[in-house]
Amino acid sequence: MVLTDGDVLRGEPFEDPAYLPSRNASAYRPLHTFELPKGVEKHYQQQYADMYFLRLAQLKKFVRQNAKDAWEDFELGEEKAKYVERVLDVRQGELCWVVGTVYMEMNLKPNVLDDISKEHWIAAPPPRETYVSTSGRDDMMLEDESGRLRVTGDSLNTHYVTGCVLAALGTEQADGSFQVIATQYADLPRQPQRWEREDSELTVAKKPKPKREKAGKVAIVSGLEMTGKEDDDLTLDLLLEYLTGEATGPPDQSSVAKITRLIIAGNSLSHASPILSREDFTAKKGGLKKHYGYDSTSYNASPAEKLDSFLSELLPTVPVTILPGTSDPANVALPQQPLHPALFPLSRPYANPPAQSNETLSGLDSVTNPWEGDIEGWRVLGTSGQTVDDLLKYVDGVEPLEVMEMMLRWRCIAPTAPDTLWCYPFQDDDPLVVQDCPHVYFAGSMRKFEKRVIDGPAGQRVLLVCVPRFRESRQVVLVDMESMDVELVEVGVVQPGS
Amino acid sequence: MAEENYKEYLAARVLTDNRPATYRLLSRALKVNVNTAKQMLYEFHSKQNAKKPKSVHATYLLTGKKRSSEHSNGIKGKDGEDTVMRSSPYMSSMPEPEAPAEEPVSKTSIVLAREEELEKTKAEFDEITSIHIYSLEPGPIENLNVLSVCNQEVATEYANEDPLARWRVYGCIHNPYIKRRTTKYNPAPQKPATKPASKPSATTAAKKEETAAPARRGSASEANISGRSTPQPGPTTASLKRSDSKSNVKKNMTAGDIFKSFAKAKPKAKEAEKSKESTPAPAEDEQMQGMSEDEGDADDEPQVQFDKEKAETARKAREEREEKLRKMMEADIEMSDAPPEAENDSQDAPLDKEATSKSAESEATVIVQGGRRRGRRRVMKKKTVKDEDGYLVTKEEPVWESFSEDEPQPKKPKPAPKPASTAKGKKGGKQGQGSIASFFTKG
Repeated sequence: MVLTDGDVLRGEPFEDPAYLPSRNASAYRPLHTFELPKGVEKHYQQQYADMYFLRLAQLKKFVRQNAKDAWEDFELGEEKAKYVERVLDVRQGELCWVVGTVYMEMNLKPNVLDDISKEHWIAAPPPRETYVSTSGRDDMMLEDESGRLRVTGDSLNTHYVTGCVLAALGTEQADGSFQVIATQYADLPRQPQRWEREDSELTVAKKPKPKREKAGKVAIVSGLEMTGKEDDDLTLDLLLEYLTGEATGPPDQSSVAKITRLIIAGNSLSHASPILSREDFTAKKGGLKKHYGYDSTSYNASPAEKLDSFLSELLPTVPVTILPGTSDPANVALPQQPLHPALFPLSRPYANPPAQSNETLSGLDSVTNPWEGDIEGWRVLGTSGQTVDDLLKYVDGVEPLEVMEMMLRWRCIAPTAPDTLWCYPFQDDDPLVVQDCPHVYFAGSMRKFEKRVIDGPAGQRVLLVCVPRFRESRQVVLVDMESMDVELVEVGVVQPGS
Repeated sequence: MAEENYKEYLAARVLTDNRPATYRLLSRALKVNVNTAKQMLYEFHSKQNAKKPKSVHATYLLTGKKRSSEHSNGIKGKDGEDTVMRSSPYMSSMPEPEAPAEEPVSKTSIVLAREEELEKTKAEFDEITSIHIYSLEPGPIENLNVLSVCNQEVATEYANEDPLARWRVYGCIHNPYIKRRTTKYNPAPQKPATKPASKPSATTAAKKEETAAPARRGSASEANISGRSTPQPGPTTASLKRSDSKSNVKKNMTAGDIFKSFAKAKPKAKEAEKSKESTPAPAEDEQMQGMSEDEGDADDEPQVQFDKEKAETARKAREEREEKLRKMMEADIEMSDAPPEAENDSQDAPLDKEATSKSAESEATVIVQGGRRRGRRRVMKKKTVKDEDGYLVTKEEPVWESFSEDEPQPKKPKPAPKPASTAKGKKGGKQGQGSIASFFTKG
């Protein structure tokens, strides 16, 4: 049953074991799409309205084009559908289509106006699992710079959420609501060719294209949630030993050597967010005396130290890209900025000093969340999962994969920001609008592993991966960057007596 | 020789000390390949148990593909427990049922099991690709998490080895592309070993002190006192040197301006001259200090390390200067000079300084943003990053540009300082404090 060379249940004689194959280089070109300006350039005074405005302005032409293709010849009772520029120009009884941003009016959705008008000394309600109210009295609106239009209709069963831009075909009813027959969205944007950035640069530099080796695999893990406790977890050790190629026997070790990069998609530390969750807050409040402001004595460095030593053990053998997540010590508003190198005293020698460059091609690369970049020539887009989680609260009975697919098709990876998701108030450019269609799109901190391949109208192919939380699932996702095959590796411990 | 040692090591550790030993720990202790270490564990385990049954207990690590039915059951059971409210999707009309129809994802399981559960665990596997002993213990263990202690030992006790050479000895996967900066900040407690490296920089700095403002020494000692002493690498020494000289030049220039204004303001030109030499320097230094403090965290750029004695004398010299300064300048400036020594990291230091410079500035008619100086360092840091060396802060105007979270129009101040400061220079001629402020705004 056991392969012979994988069977290390052998005693003497100890022959000198052969060295494992070396890892190949990871062709890695991060993009800095989600990096915020630093220092004085970063402001929080702007209005969020600009984001919606930008999003609509950027996406309107695509949505309009799609809608035009679909509905130009559409007739209903000899009436031709026509395009109306502004939502307020819709005339009653006229068959027409408009383009606008969706706004969901939901009773259970947190509302900033409520927050302002209510008293501040009452403890905030716990975060909601869903915003969908059971009474079904949630309204959907379509808005543009001119105003809002209440929309109704059965065709809205495709789930829409606040912030996505879409075209709606229908007529205005007597009660002023817009009865929708069909909707259109922007759909997947252009997808770059593999190695497009590299090749174009080489062409400019008039250099021949290099012969590229077969790409290796990328391991994606999320939700390590290190606590730093003594008996933290043996599975973390097993994961580490697996990735360094120490655990398991020669055949498996050789296959591990094909992993050329590890991506940690958020939530590497547990309870390290600068903003305490409700539970953490009450737990903390109970034990301690009242203390104004930040209490430095309550800081526990051991989770961060554990993560640091974990990374420093890994880094000599595999490059790591680390994204911050909800529970990590980074800013809480999207896009989350890279975890600070000060957190990694042992690991940061493997990263370039920020003064030299803000990217490390092999070594520790602490990046933003969301993040995009080229790995082995493919465009990879990833988040730590907040965007998906938040969107799931708007809808009922939808899987994370579908949410991810719709985000790409709406061309906005965080449509619910800034409505219910904290977000930096972008002014001139909204990087959350997808400009280039990725080849791989992953979301971390998901409930369970899932994957799907979706196709776009222009032949785009995107691999969607939900990366499960390691603490619960004990799973690591391996993506073969040549064939786009996905594998799972699960580590486990058989508890005594089970 | 390792072949002989392993018996002693394991006997001592497992049988005598009653502590668990993993293959990883054994490989580190004996400096053998991990796969050899696994075999040694097996050898020891079988030999010992042949001599005396149940004297040594083992855990096994199995790798392979689990039987699909088995694992899906396991997963479902688990899922069912914690995803109760998620069950609705399965009943709804969403296309969920299609998803599992896609080709199954190959799944490798790595399972750690005690020898008691070994056979049962083996049965769960369809195919086992490798199996080895993970650890040996004196007896059955109830909580497998105690094994992670071994890995902590590995991490702490064998941390000094060159991590990039590990693969050669222990046989982990080698990655030739990984580089590790050798010129790095060492998080371990300060080592005397750093001294030789730092010496040259110290001497160069000392040389410069002769030519440039003497108060530099003070700041250098501050760097030392602040406890950030770090090994000083070759290349950065060079860059640091350059920065020093640059900043010194600047200092002198700006100081010259100030001097003029002082000369007008006060009859005691001599003292003013002294002040020109000393006052700007500490301010500038401290500033640089603040910045490099930030940077030190951010990118490990090391700082100058000085000998203790040198630091001591430097501090004395600085204190003298400070004293003179105090006499002349009154309480205001002294504050800006002192803080870094004691409260390098604290937020108070900048605050104090702000207060003083602010008051001075309002006299000097620098416009609205008097009270929003908190972010000055930050501004400077950004400039630094843009700099070719990355490390240096020698540009004057951005340094003192005010920044605050509340700043409504942050871009405006940028051009402002220059004309303002020249104007101030004149105005400051009448008031001693104003001229200092003009120095502050200018750099």
